[in-house]
Amino acid sequence: MDVNALAAARKYAAARPATEPGPEAGGVLGDVARDFATTLREGEDTAKAALVGEADPHALVEALVQAELAVETVVTVRDKVVEAYQDILRMPV
Amino acid sequence: MTDFSASLSLSASGLRAQAQRLRHLSENIANADTPGYRRKTVPFEMTDGAGDGRGLVRTGRVKLDRSDLARVYDPAHPLADPSGHYDGSNVDLVIEIADAREAQRSYEANLKMFDQARQMSGALLDLLRR
Repeated sequence: MDVNALAAARKYAAARPATEPGPEAGGVLGDVARDFATTLREGEDTAKAALVGEADPHALVEALVQAELAVETVVTVRDKVVEAYQDILRMPV
Repeated sequence: MTDFSASLSLSASGLRAQAQRLRHLSENIANADTPGYRRKTVPFEMTDGAGDGRGLVRTGRVKLDRSDLARVYDPAHPLADPSGHYDGSNVDLVIEIADAREAQRSYEANLKMFDQARQMSGALLDLLRR
């Protein structure tokens, strides 16, 4: 019994580093998030400029569709990630 | 920048260029009766798109049509010379209307491509939704 508990503790200690955030995970996702924020900000800036008559309607439509594309991508990926996470939570232990 | 958003930028540049072309065509037609007016032509040129290989289109420097001005006979006109003629404009309405129709068709084509890129990206993301 003691041997089994010890083995389990050792396995747990060995598996722990795998769950820690890696150095590169924040990098890629951070870049994606920054890119997304930049696209959204461009859309907002162009919309503001178009409303006061500084940007032409083509730039407005282009920026808004780019922002729409970015939002759709991010929302779809988020939904997929949340779905996968919930699948893990529902896993019978 | 993905291919889809590059397509969107390219189509938008085409739309903008055709709109500028139409702007100068309107100017030509509005000045068709202006004495001495020379019709303006708009050349299209490709940009490097900040060096990433995207060939956005833009309109270059507006050029004046150097063909001869129409000689209009109207002795009562203040600009008429001793023979009773004055220089009209060299705008041919038929050419301008045909050019405007071409701009319209090209605009529609760019609009279709814009919509196409949007639909394709939407269809791709739909794969992840089911």
